[in-house]
Amino acid sequence: MKYLSHTALRAGAVGVAIAAAGAAFAQDKSVMIGLTSDPSHLYPLAGEELSSNIMYYHLYDPLVKRGADLSFGPGLAESWENVDEITWRFKLRQGVTFHNGNAFTAADVVYTVNKARESIRPDLVANVASVTAVDDYTVEIKTPKPYAVLPNDLAELLILDEEYTTATGDEKMDLMPMGTGPYKLGEWIKEEKLTLTANDGYWAGEPKIKNVTFRPITNPATRTAALLTGEVDVIQDLAVRDVDRVKKEDGYSVVTRPSLLNVVLAMDMREQSPTIEGKNPMTDQRVREAIARAVDVNAINKIVMNGLATPSDQFVPSSHIGYVDGMSFREMYPLDIEKAKALMADAGYPDGFTMTLDATNNRYVNDAQIAQALASMLAKIGVTLELNIMPKSNFWGHIRVPTENSSFIMSGWDVPAGDAGSMYGALFYTRDKKDGYGQVNRGSYSNAEMDALVDKADSTPDVEQRDAYLQEATKILMADIPMIPVHYEQDIYAVRDGVTLVPRVDKFLWAYDMDVD
Amino acid sequence: MFGYLLKRLIQMTLVLWVVSVIVFLMMSFTGDPVFMVVPIDATDSEIAQARRLLGLDQSPLVQYWRFLTSLVQGDFGQSYVFRQPAMTLILERLPATVEMVLVAMVMAVAVAIPLGVYAGANPEGRLSRTIMAGSLLGISLPGFWVGMVLIYLFAVHWGVFPSSGRGDTAELFGLRISLLTWDGWHHIILPAVTLSLGTMAILLRMTRAGMMEVGRQDFMKFARAKGATRHDVLYKHGLKNALIPVVTIFGLQLGDLIAFATITETIFSWPGMGKLLIDSIYRADRPVIVVYLMLVALIFVVINFLVDLVYTLIDPRISLK
Repeated sequence: MKYLSHTALRAGAVGVAIAAAGAAFAQDKSVMIGLTSDPSHLYPLAGEELSSNIMYYHLYDPLVKRGADLSFGPGLAESWENVDEITWRFKLRQGVTFHNGNAFTAADVVYTVNKARESIRPDLVANVASVTAVDDYTVEIKTPKPYAVLPNDLAELLILDEEYTTATGDEKMDLMPMGTGPYKLGEWIKEEKLTLTANDGYWAGEPKIKNVTFRPITNPATRTAALLTGEVDVIQDLAVRDVDRVKKEDGYSVVTRPSLLNVVLAMDMREQSPTIEGKNPMTDQRVREAIARAVDVNAINKIVMNGLATPSDQFVPSSHIGYVDGMSFREMYPLDIEKAKALMADAGYPDGFTMTLDATNNRYVNDAQIAQALASMLAKIGVTLELNIMPKSNFWGHIRVPTENSSFIMSGWDVPAGDAGSMYGALFYTRDKKDGYGQVNRGSYSNAEMDALVDKADSTPDVEQRDAYLQEATKILMADIPMIPVHYEQDIYAVRDGVTLVPRVDKFLWAYDMDVD
Repeated sequence: MFGYLLKRLIQMTLVLWVVSVIVFLMMSFTGDPVFMVVPIDATDSEIAQARRLLGLDQSPLVQYWRFLTSLVQGDFGQSYVFRQPAMTLILERLPATVEMVLVAMVMAVAVAIPLGVYAGANPEGRLSRTIMAGSLLGISLPGFWVGMVLIYLFAVHWGVFPSSGRGDTAELFGLRISLLTWDGWHHIILPAVTLSLGTMAILLRMTRAGMMEVGRQDFMKFARAKGATRHDVLYKHGLKNALIPVVTIFGLQLGDLIAFATITETIFSWPGMGKLLIDSIYRADRPVIVVYLMLVALIFVVINFLVDLVYTLIDPRISLK
């Protein structure tokens, strides 16, 4: 008996020694990230939502890589060129393998494009007419018409392994992803945690952080608590009310960056509007200008957003194609109640009018409060806003074109593709004129000049020319005011000291770019 | 007994059917799930494609018929959002919830019964008054507030418990159980306490009321007179007769906590199924909501059945017919 226990003790000691040695050698960097929600999918063609997007870009790669600052560069494609106006030739990276060891080739690209077309996300390949494999490492993509920003679009198309995806099937792909990305899936316990391990053979170099754990912590206050107790190293979406508290705490810092999401107010421009009695006053540019001048974006920022928003100066941020340098909606139409009242009187509405504002209460930061603030602001120029505030599950169907219920809508718009074109085409192109254009033109704005500029922009293969056309379009929109840009929300993260996090403009947290000490 | 079971089974089928009809009707008011799935600038053809892939291109009646026919074949439908079988989504989250609720119920009973008996037996005592005042707090304090305070005190301030999550688990019969690991216990304490407070207070008050009522009965005096100890009088004669309403409430609370522990789960980011229900409602994910509520109805039916059985054990005069 004595002998036995002695041996057991020794065995135990050896075990401890081995474990200790293992720990000393391993010293692997790891990071715990608190997200606002669990991903819904790990299969890029199954749907789109922030937490899922974050996972997609760890597991998969696109042909064209979008940088943290919205610069576009080579991904799985090393280089590309225009063969003619509508034909693009992509040279693929050689020697890249999927996590299962399968080689990445042109056939996978062709497969992915065709697969996307049949999926719930055909929009990913809306600007691809056909794709052919020229050889194993060259693909040729044709667009339906000249389209200068095809590479930007392709940054959202994540390449699947043809053999694996076919064998696995759509439903299982969500649970067993297989890409070429910098991380492989470790385990995914729904609503509890998702772990990723480094893909050491990653083509762009071994990831610095070897183990990444994502934990969904929906309640904002709990997320803050999890950071302060050291349970996680990074949290997404720090609650506005906790910002000061975390800043004061030693050992933690707050990282913010203006997002791409522009909160905008769309005004109905039809002769008759669903919630307005009589003729629709907003057909008159002066009325639209008066409303724009009555909206105090600085007050909204200070009071509703705690200073954590950036008033927007145009419809797209300065990084985008189509942005006009030096032009600012805020300077063109500054807050001026007197001027606004005069404009209303000029237009024949000295006593104002009544309409309904449709807004969400669970989609944008403090959205319901913004709507309430707008009601009191517009009351000053005699416009009575009735608020119709609803959850997003009802909202999108309610405001949907042909917009039979709405006169005045608050929503948000972001264009991670870095180009105003798709937004202008969807939001401001005359309705029902051309397939794939004006499908979200909720205010029925129509300006032939605008349509022509979007057409021209969408038919030039030259990016600079596209930029010039879209800038012209921006100038028209700023004068016509079919919509009032309000502000960009800010993305707020909190990290413990020692974590390097450069937030991405598109919000897709990416452990490959992060570091810990 | 057989007749009783058959009656219960027919009742249950009826209840489940009614639940499915109600949910299907309700869902026509909660928004169109297609818009939760497609990007906001989707074109009409893209939306039509999504509608077809989700099976939403048919009339509601056809959709309901399809749902019923596949239900009979054991297929509960697929979530629109997750594109996974709805039943799987719920069942993989069920153990975590059940585990937390069981711990909470054990805590509630362990505290409520002795304190309730004491307060019922000594209604005028100072300690009883303190207990009753405390129980009033337990009923009236909202769970989310209690949860946040517990997190702030025990996790952030004193650092004795983790703020959230489930911690390590061990596998038993293929299920992941936290109660088998120290770390799991460490994680389950705060959410279970939060969840138990309301039930604890209700059970305590029911026990007290029952005991006070029973205390006036002649058989209690008789038991005392024949020389039984105070403890035996209270627990063997008194409690047993006061227990019927307590067991009823216990059953209802158990079902309620399993089905709707949503708030506690959200606050402690406990990976249970309550959160799934709320998320699904927000996303108009009808298949998950239907199956969830049918499962909840089933749980209630089963619990009620068990409660009936317990009645017969406590009081031999009651029999199942």
